[in-house]
Amino acid sequence: MTLLTDPTEVFTAADTAGSCVVAFLARRHPLPAGVFGRREQDAISDVLRALRGEGWKLSVRAMFDPRADHEPAAFDTGFAHAIDIAGAFEAPSIAAALEGTVRLERAGWSRRLATEWLLGPREFATVGGEGSGAGHPWGFLALWEWNDAWAAATPAERRAYDSECDVAFAGDLALDIAIAGRHRLDWASSWHHLGIWEAPSLAAIDDAMRGHERAADFKFTTSRHLIGRRRLLAELLAPDGEAA
Amino acid sequence: MSACIWIHYARPRPHWYGLDEATRAARQASWREVAAASTQVGGTCLGTYHVRGQHDFETVTLWRFLDADAAFRHWAALTAAGYGECHAFANTIGLAGEPTG
Repeated sequence: MTLLTDPTEVFTAADTAGSCVVAFLARRHPLPAGVFGRREQDAISDVLRALRGEGWKLSVRAMFDPRADHEPAAFDTGFAHAIDIAGAFEAPSIAAALEGTVRLERAGWSRRLATEWLLGPREFATVGGEGSGAGHPWGFLALWEWNDAWAAATPAERRAYDSECDVAFAGDLALDIAIAGRHRLDWASSWHHLGIWEAPSLAAIDDAMRGHERAADFKFTTSRHLIGRRRLLAELLAPDGEAA
Repeated sequence: MSACIWIHYARPRPHWYGLDEATRAARQASWREVAAASTQVGGTCLGTYHVRGQHDFETVTLWRFLDADAAFRHWAALTAAGYGECHAFANTIGLAGEPTG
């Protein structure tokens, strides 16, 4: 795996070589009658079941706990963003990731959702928070790019910056935030990286962001952050007016 | 595995303009070596086009690769050679095939 930057005290190189995130930022279409119904939702469920059989992880939770039988899940983000649903799967390879997006779209996903797919290999391993860790109800997705100031900085300046940010990441873990490592997106996006968290509360995410501000995290990065409540994907995809 | 299109938008970062000519030439030569290596393993560069007149970026470059992994390896080699430090960019990958709705 080609790392964009070196491992740190908090983050270690992933031993899941080849794993590729399939993140999605999706908006629901306004749907005319008959465009998306139970048939399309069942077809999507069939594809998801097949993907799981091919080694996919179908939720952020499954990245932390791959042996458990987790239902496909994502984050309900519409209350805070122009994005209705954000989430992340993990495919066993880059090729499988790209093909999987096409299989999902063809099964009916594209009828329900306008989606920006973000694909990229895992760089850093998951890091559990310093608490119960399991089943946090909130998700946080951070897309970021190294900015022009980082690009112009010296190697020593970047190492010092990484050390400062590591203090902030250690603070995130102390807030019982679980960090799903880091994925590299830059080969097929304008974003360079994706970080995904599971958090116990929105207050914890806000406290964590204040820590990153204190560490001057954003002097070298431009980022976009999304928050959402974890829900089963079947509920999020349900046809209008139907419970899952 | 189906063929992939890889679309690469780029513009120089501000500090690129401050580099001396020899440094620029050395960097560009290393990126040409990456392109040559990608071509040797089956990639095809379809060309670089100037788009500054109607885009945030200066150029768009199109490659066809045998698969998505080849596109990733091409980009990883470029960034390892400092390309991303000298350019802002936006990349897109596409799998050959018709839409089915």
